[in-house]
Amino acid sequence: MILILVLSLTYLTYLGGLGELPPNDVRLIAKNYLNLTYNPYVKSLWASSPEAVTAIVWDYRGLDTLFETVVFYGAVLAAITLFRKVAKEKDMLQSKGMSVVVKRATAIVTVAMLTVAFSTALHGHLTPGGGFQAGAIGAVAPLVMIVVFGKRYLEDRGLSYGRLLSLRNLALTGIGVTSIALFTYALIQGGFSFIFQNQGKSLSPYSFPSYTLDVPSGGILLFFNVFEFLAVLAGFTLVFLILLGSDELLSKEFEGGENGY
Amino acid sequence: MRKLFKVLILSLGVFTVYIIYTGSVKLYDIATGVIVSLIVSYLTANIVIEDWRKALDLRRVATFIKFAFRYLLIDEVKAHALVIRLGLSPRLSLKPAIVKIPINSRSDYAVTMTSLAITNTPGTVVVDLTEDNSVLYVHWIYATKIEPQEAYKEVCEVFDSYARKVFD
Repeated sequence: MILILVLSLTYLTYLGGLGELPPNDVRLIAKNYLNLTYNPYVKSLWASSPEAVTAIVWDYRGLDTLFETVVFYGAVLAAITLFRKVAKEKDMLQSKGMSVVVKRATAIVTVAMLTVAFSTALHGHLTPGGGFQAGAIGAVAPLVMIVVFGKRYLEDRGLSYGRLLSLRNLALTGIGVTSIALFTYALIQGGFSFIFQNQGKSLSPYSFPSYTLDVPSGGILLFFNVFEFLAVLAGFTLVFLILLGSDELLSKEFEGGENGY
Repeated sequence: MRKLFKVLILSLGVFTVYIIYTGSVKLYDIATGVIVSLIVSYLTANIVIEDWRKALDLRRVATFIKFAFRYLLIDEVKAHALVIRLGLSPRLSLKPAIVKIPINSRSDYAVTMTSLAITNTPGTVVVDLTEDNSVLYVHWIYATKIEPQEAYKEVCEVFDSYARKVFD
């Protein structure tokens, strides 16, 4: 019975029951993308990145990704605005956290998580991964730490609202500066270059460095990945820090009775 | 000054993790690895490292490696064999009990190592430990001994003595 169902569905799909099938020469598109991302022979076309996805996300449609980052930034900003009364305060609950076994094991794992996150960010233009993924990996570390060690423990050791917000703003500024760095440089040199330009084009010879040490750098991609990593890491951590506050702290926010502003 | 040593010791470990995860040893990986390991260990050194001198004691490291082999090759196999025998026997002859086991490990990492070693062998699970980390409550699927000292000898004497040599 199941076999008949599967076979009939397969047949229907094959006949085009789900709409037009992709053409047989679909590999041409892949070939095109590869030619335009990592093609050392035609340097006016390449993005100097063996990772086609990152090249497309931050080079081809960099502006789109910039706005995605801004949307995320805005979402975190909205969360902070909602919790503005409690966001800056240290938690009054002196939580002892979990048992010593969990704490020690978590301490070691946290180090590994942060390391993996950094590696993912720094190799975003070489292997799958990139800024956002690295930020999401890295943000697990503070999340687990807050639960296991208690929020106050981390706050007493310098994880604060102000610092995270500064890191986030710094990273976002970094993305902005990177996107117009080459443009400014070209302007000073008396030439011209596009905003978000990565490697030299036929119209404009200015280019970010194609290699860092001995690997292709993806030029602008490396900077974008690192800044995006820091922005996402700080953003997520900020939200976790606020949402995982103790009941007493958060209830201040829910009491209401606030008039005006 | 103390923090500096902590950071340097930890950064060795971080650098190893970084290179293993990255899976390549080009110049770029080594350069970024050095920077990242310094940053990460600066951020986490105070939380992770209790006493940096112990990490430099080669005798402790050697004991730890010896324990790793012994644990995986002997203790794990013995525990698995017991649980497999219990699982396959037609009469489900279990003697489950939660036993109280005093341990001699004192430092945080030694207690952690002991109790994780117990938990990771099938058949025994650490349920809880007292506030001063001196007594473990262990759920044991086939409790042959109930008295604390006897149970200590059966379940965790090996782990405990190794943990003391490595971390205490």
